[in-house]
Amino acid sequence: MLSDSEAKELLSFLTLETRPDVKGQATEYILGLTGNRDGCRYLRSKPDFLKALVTLTRDPSIAIVKDCYHAVINLSADETLHQPLIKETDLLAILFKNLLDPEYVFADRICTILSNLSRHERTCRDVFHALQEQKIGLDKVVEIFCTEGFNKTASLHYLGPLLSNLTQLPEARHFILDKDRCVIQRLLPYTQYEESTTRRGGVVGTLRNCCFDYAHHEWLLSDAVDILPYLLLPLAGPEELSEEENEGLPVDLQYLPEDKKREDDPDIRKMLLETLMLLTATKVGRQIMNKKNVYPIMREFHKWEKDPHVISTCEKLVQVLIGDEPEAGMENLMEVEIPNDVEEKLKELDAKEQEQMEKDKQECEKKQNESPEALER
Amino acid sequence: MAAPTQGEDSDDAMDEFMEKFKTQKYKNAFSESNWEEEFEKVPMFMKTAPESIDPEKHPDLACIQSIIHDDDRTPEEKARGLKDEGNDYFKEKKYKKAVVSYTEGLKKNCTDIELNAILYTNRAAAHFHLGNMRSALNDATAAKKLKPDHIKAIIRGAQCSMELHNYPGALQWCDEGLRLLPTEKKLQELRATADKQKREAERDARKAKVKAKKQQNEKETLLAAIKERGIKLLKTEPSQRRGSDSEDDDGDRGASRALADLELDGISSQEATGACVYMDEQGVLHWPVLFLYPEHSQTDFISAFCENSSFMDHLAVMFGEELPPWDSERKYQPQNLQLFFEDPEKGNLYQVDLEKSLLNVLQHQRCSVKAGTPSFIVLVSGSPFSKQFLSGKKVQRLK
Repeated sequence: MLSDSEAKELLSFLTLETRPDVKGQATEYILGLTGNRDGCRYLRSKPDFLKALVTLTRDPSIAIVKDCYHAVINLSADETLHQPLIKETDLLAILFKNLLDPEYVFADRICTILSNLSRHERTCRDVFHALQEQKIGLDKVVEIFCTEGFNKTASLHYLGPLLSNLTQLPEARHFILDKDRCVIQRLLPYTQYEESTTRRGGVVGTLRNCCFDYAHHEWLLSDAVDILPYLLLPLAGPEELSEEENEGLPVDLQYLPEDKKREDDPDIRKMLLETLMLLTATKVGRQIMNKKNVYPIMREFHKWEKDPHVISTCEKLVQVLIGDEPEAGMENLMEVEIPNDVEEKLKELDAKEQEQMEKDKQECEKKQNESPEALER
Repeated sequence: MAAPTQGEDSDDAMDEFMEKFKTQKYKNAFSESNWEEEFEKVPMFMKTAPESIDPEKHPDLACIQSIIHDDDRTPEEKARGLKDEGNDYFKEKKYKKAVVSYTEGLKKNCTDIELNAILYTNRAAAHFHLGNMRSALNDATAAKKLKPDHIKAIIRGAQCSMELHNYPGALQWCDEGLRLLPTEKKLQELRATADKQKREAERDARKAKVKAKKQQNEKETLLAAIKERGIKLLKTEPSQRRGSDSEDDDGDRGASRALADLELDGISSQEATGACVYMDEQGVLHWPVLFLYPEHSQTDFISAFCENSSFMDHLAVMFGEELPPWDSERKYQPQNLQLFFEDPEKGNLYQVDLEKSLLNVLQHQRCSVKAGTPSFIVLVSGSPFSKQFLSGKKVQRLK
């Protein structure tokens, strides 16, 4: 890395007052450093550099600001940089202030950074508290997220993962699940938002996290929120159902057109099923889900799905739904859905799943060492 | 009413005054018989205000009213007074009068923005209760324009949109309101209802689309089946009336028009039963068929003649047990009957073999179906009428 004197010199160039060409080269160099893990770790020990970088996001030159944001994104992808970034600089204040500005052209980069910073619980908590302290609050974030065209140059899709990350905190979930406000209701339509997998995934992740709170299930499934159709629609397909079956479904799932597409991303499909699974945790939840007659949807989905992990999750869900008080409708599903050969397949899959889970675990550990949302130079 | 005298302060004058009562009855006293009526006329004791104030009948009331609408006041004061007047009418459910008052208030063009916003909002409410949703919505919009945080206007705007079935619009109003007051219960309820109805309307649209598609498919299948059998459908007047675009005999537009004709004519058939040819689950066609009896100017309508049934099958039943009442000579017996269909182009008649099926006959080269309803002329073989009817016509008899 740099020697102490080199570092000192470089730092002196990283000020707003420095000549543009020198400043530009200095920021370029820093950006290069952030492009790899060692560079990031080096900067972790140099809070002054971090401070300078954050300050330079106010620079009049767009090129400089762009490089600074790139660098911060790279840094934020490394968990070990989170606390230094938060504690040594006024990064969060700057990020939130600019996020609220509908004209700010770097708003998408801000969302990416916030999404990175909120990934792990400790800094996530700092992000959440900063939101409150800056008198912005989660409702403003939701409002911006749900306002089409709030920022003309930025899509703000990464607010989705941000919300999802924030809801790992009970205090954030508490806000989103506030019965006296209209928050979660605004997010629901986005489970079908075609233009962005990031946004969609973020919303579904948020909903899944919120469903960990059993106490709210009845409310979530009631008309006041009506979460069920929004979870099922991405899983429902164009297959024609009989008039009888249609009439028994929730309104949003009736008479779907021939060009209805299912959710493309298997991870999102899996999350949706997991969310539905969570909602079956309580007896009331199970009763409501059974009453709303979602079998035709799950039946057709099961026929269509190819990904073994997703199928497995689907079958677990169906098992829970059937496993309760057996009724006429459910028995049919038992016959149609899980004939003997599928039972065999299930046993096979269970074994495979054990294997896969081991593999997944190893991959996961590998991934955590790489940078998630990093922009390499 | 007793006319008060300007009494002096002295006791003497008072004593004198009191003395008078002992001897004189004062003028204009209420009489025992109509005192209640008179009482009602006194403004202070009126239970309800009269509809219109006639200065002759109610001089006192007219006086008081003129004080209220005194022209010496500022526009704000006048507008405020009119607002209060409107509110009073509103409380009495006299919404039309309330609208008038509020309108007058707005006309004063006073500079108090809040007051004007209230006038618009209140007028919106009055219109709402009168069922004038569009006017109400306009007023709510105007109120909001003046004062964007006027929550009553926003609630009213949402309600009007709902009544006008503009659910996306209602949602927008609600969201705007909730941005100002996130915990406003009424707005949350309205929003939930608007959302629900919006989704129900979307479902209804999808359902209608599916139904229309199904009907279209059925129509197309039917038309294809008819065409496949080589049966000719005649275009009738309605399509000719369509003028310039009746060029397309072939192609999709022709097909759907032919079907539309079928439908149209099925409904407008002389029997007005709305019967139309249909295909059953086995793919067999059933036609509405007309039998014409020119001798007696009678007709028989068979609503569903299976194409595989023979004419004799039907005639045996129709003329089997009992002959029709108009058959005065009792000669319309199945074995005596002769059936013909007419070629509309040339006016020729073709005799029908009664043992043949309807399908068979319809497939005849010169046979065509008019108004979606095959029709056949029924005559009694050898009868004088039949000879007369058939003379001068070119008739193709059975060999």
